[in-house]
Amino acid sequence: MRTIAMVLAAAAFTATATPGTAQQRPAPRDTTTKRLSYPVPPAARLVAITNATIMTVAKGTIPKGTIVIRDGKIAAVGADVAVPAGAQVIDGNGKFVIPGIVDAHSHSAAEAINEGTQSITAQVRMEDVLRQDALGLYRELAGGVTTLNILHGSANTIGGQNATVKVRWGLPADSLLFEGAPPGIKFALGENVRQTNRTVLPGQERRYPRTRMGVEELLRDAFTRAQEYRREWQAYERARKSAKKGQAPVPPKRDLQLDALVEVLEGKRLVHCHSYRADEILMMLQVAKDFGFRVASFQHVLEGYKVADEIAAAGSGASTFADNWAYKLEAWDAIPHNAALMAERGVRVSINSDSDERARRLYQEAAKAMHYGGASEEEALKMITLHPAWQLGIDKRVGSIEVGKDADLAIFNGHPFAPAARVEMTLIDGRVFFDRNTAPTLEYLMELIRQQQGPRQVTEVVP
Amino acid sequence: MRLRTLLACLAVPVTAAAQDGTWALTNARIETVTRGVIERGTIVIRDGIIETVGANVTPPPDARIVDLAGKRVFPGLIDLTSTLGLPSAPAAGGGQGGPGGPTAGQPASGTVRNVGLEPGRVIAEELRPAAADVRGARDAGITAVLVAPSRGAFRGLSALVPLRDDSATRYVVRSPVALHMGFEGAQGSGFGGRYPATLLGVIAYERQSMYDAQHHAAQQERYRAGVRGVSRPSYDANLDALVPVVRGALPAFFDANRENEIRRAVNIGDEFDLKLTVVGATEGFRAIDALKRASGVVVSVDFPRPTTVTGWSYRSTQRRALNDSAATDSAVRRMLEANAATLNTAGIRFALSSGGLRAGEFLGNVRKAIAAGLPRDVALQALTVRSAEIAGVGAQLGSIEPGKIANLVVAERDILGDSANVRMVFVDGIRYEVIPPAPSEARRAGRTGGGRAGEREEAGEMARVAGTWDITVTHGEGENRATLTATQSGSTLEGSMATELGTVQVTDGRVTGQRVTFTITLPISGQTTVIVFRGTVDGNRMTGDVDMGAMGSATFIGERKP
Repeated sequence: MRTIAMVLAAAAFTATATPGTAQQRPAPRDTTTKRLSYPVPPAARLVAITNATIMTVAKGTIPKGTIVIRDGKIAAVGADVAVPAGAQVIDGNGKFVIPGIVDAHSHSAAEAINEGTQSITAQVRMEDVLRQDALGLYRELAGGVTTLNILHGSANTIGGQNATVKVRWGLPADSLLFEGAPPGIKFALGENVRQTNRTVLPGQERRYPRTRMGVEELLRDAFTRAQEYRREWQAYERARKSAKKGQAPVPPKRDLQLDALVEVLEGKRLVHCHSYRADEILMMLQVAKDFGFRVASFQHVLEGYKVADEIAAAGSGASTFADNWAYKLEAWDAIPHNAALMAERGVRVSINSDSDERARRLYQEAAKAMHYGGASEEEALKMITLHPAWQLGIDKRVGSIEVGKDADLAIFNGHPFAPAARVEMTLIDGRVFFDRNTAPTLEYLMELIRQQQGPRQVTEVVP
Repeated sequence: MRLRTLLACLAVPVTAAAQDGTWALTNARIETVTRGVIERGTIVIRDGIIETVGANVTPPPDARIVDLAGKRVFPGLIDLTSTLGLPSAPAAGGGQGGPGGPTAGQPASGTVRNVGLEPGRVIAEELRPAAADVRGARDAGITAVLVAPSRGAFRGLSALVPLRDDSATRYVVRSPVALHMGFEGAQGSGFGGRYPATLLGVIAYERQSMYDAQHHAAQQERYRAGVRGVSRPSYDANLDALVPVVRGALPAFFDANRENEIRRAVNIGDEFDLKLTVVGATEGFRAIDALKRASGVVVSVDFPRPTTVTGWSYRSTQRRALNDSAATDSAVRRMLEANAATLNTAGIRFALSSGGLRAGEFLGNVRKAIAAGLPRDVALQALTVRSAEIAGVGAQLGSIEPGKIANLVVAERDILGDSANVRMVFVDGIRYEVIPPAPSEARRAGRTGGGRAGEREEAGEMARVAGTWDITVTHGEGENRATLTATQSGSTLEGSMATELGTVQVTDGRVTGQRVTFTITLPISGQTTVIVFRGTVDGNRMTGDVDMGAMGSATFIGERKP
């Protein structure tokens, strides 16, 4: 019985791996010795993808080019790049390579989403509840997604601290974390926070706030408390420095909730704000302005096209759906042209999934921005690569195919916006985390049936 | 009949179920655990303490002599995961967490209890063990249990309780042993409920509480230092209970079974420099690096179901063949049973515990862990001296040494074997007879000590086939011998059979009551032959028929290897 790891290890020593061609599948063998292990790919030190159409996003498209990956970073990109000796070669003939897709709104890989007992829960952290064995992660790899913004849910005005992760399927949970990514936090406005859709049992109190007025009040109250807390610590620091020996003051009590909000005030923590209506977006921008911080991204932001200029002027990004609307009252005024219209006004727009399912086909979602709003191909591609990376503060690391960036790449069997396009291979840090050749797809399992002798009872079919 | 013989041979009055005083146990095979085995020796017990142990010990004149005639004596077993004697959980208070800070450790207003968020809950003050529960565990050889609630973020301060009939609280060996923690939130929480409701909130709540306690400790220390003009810290029993924990004086026992739970617990321990013991660790084999960072490890033998194991609930993504499921499930089960063996090989020292299983199944699963590669001596240490050390009572309990508490088990055979046959148990030097239950009661006896799921109840009625068996098949042309090595999980039997034609897997193994069936497939004269065994188990013996298909039928006898 081969584990995927073994298959990939074997592939690593093969001179040329060809994505998408009918390779010989590993024959089914005795399964009793199978070990409980993840398919952890080997760390390839030197990889070259040759003869591929390379959509760099930042610097145009190279029709027949080579990408050289050294120690997980992109070492060279171009039409006339030589393949270094000893490199593992991936034949990209007929393939399209794009930067690994960045999903700016995901709840994959989290064992808990909403700590909905209070409306301010800035103290809770998604990184505490990550799991590495969520099936959604694997499907996302199969859709070319390499980076996720794992967000707290939208139950609370100020939800939890986000976790930016790479989809390193198979490694322990803490290996998922995108090292060096700036911290962030989820905010939410509107119906979910007001809990208008929630069934309240008899005798059960309704949670504050019940109106959009209350949401704003909670935000201002929270940041006012954070300001006081910061002053308390500043006073302590002053007293400590001037204190005589042995008379050092007791430090103030640490408050994990206010710690996170102070980081927001100081610009060290990025705000990702769930929002729908134009009025609440303007409210949030005003609160942020009053307290001196920037909203890194408005999430969903379905009425963003109405206030695109204000969003652009505030330096905020917008992360929206392509064509998903009217699923609740506050989503009524959504139009599929939203992404392209906001982009036109200078907003850095991303298309997100907010769903393990949609995350598998974000490239198709991005294509809709061309169809509806007339966005350029490059702009549409940026909506799932460079722009979400910018919103998460990781655009120096990922989001385009440039020398020095992380070798996070998706290899397609054709143009990623073509209707039948599919991902053949997904690399993170130069490691092949998904390869359709060795993935246990339904076709593959059907092939196994054909190879097996005699009838076998099929108890379960893999999705 | 057997009981009467035993009692006659021991020459004690039949009416005396429990007796204290001075005892001399002579002609015993003494497994001291810390000082080797004394093949034929004497133990003198006085006032609840072991006075002397040795091969050449003369019983003192005032001792009542019990001639054990070669029976075995072991230190009393210690189970560090018990809820024995705890009242059923009090109802959670109403109310809800309104807006406001996450400040933890503050008791709810009025008399409303915040069950599961009570670091200051003193378990020793709540104990009310049922006599049947005490006896059920003790009859299996367990003489002390560490009692703490099994759910909650902050569960309370545990007590190490001797399994005496007269009083659990008065004779508590140690309290508090540790602050018990876990990943469950406020009782009755959820949306509209109280903070913390989810894993997200629980971890934040625990971290905030530790920061609160550090601050509280600093204020207390400053106040106690007697600086004039210092305002006094507030009184808060729950924060007070956390102070020794953040100061490293009192261990935190963190209930963590799955890989990620273990890592999360150890991360909290590292952040606050806690003396952290991971309790459970049923997926410890996946988190050896994290376990090495813990101060202590208690490994539960309440094996999880394969489908709940990290990475395995999504087996479909890894499956390489369509008939993979059953085979891999059993591979996972073997891996789970080998957890303790794997940790032992990795150099981790640990105690073994029940994880809440009742006594019979607890020791049954310990045998599975041994069958999966855990050295038997390591297992015994893990149930005695290692448990005592982790509970902070290494000087008083866990081995048969002069000066230690006289908690002893007398059994016919190895206490970790399949048929230990425990005959008497000493707790604090009090002698308790083990009365073998009448057959009709045998089933019920297994349930004491807090039996859990219905499936476990069923298991109590099943023959235990796990182990190694010498099988002799008798047919028209003579005899064939084979060795069956079996593991059992509920009614499912698995393993292999070493035959004269090679070693093959056992398939379709089932245990129904005392009936057992299993199948092997052998290549006989070039023919693939399916051979079905159908038998009845009687203790260490099984007998039955063998169906060899076209090759006819036969009978078989199995003898369990010691």
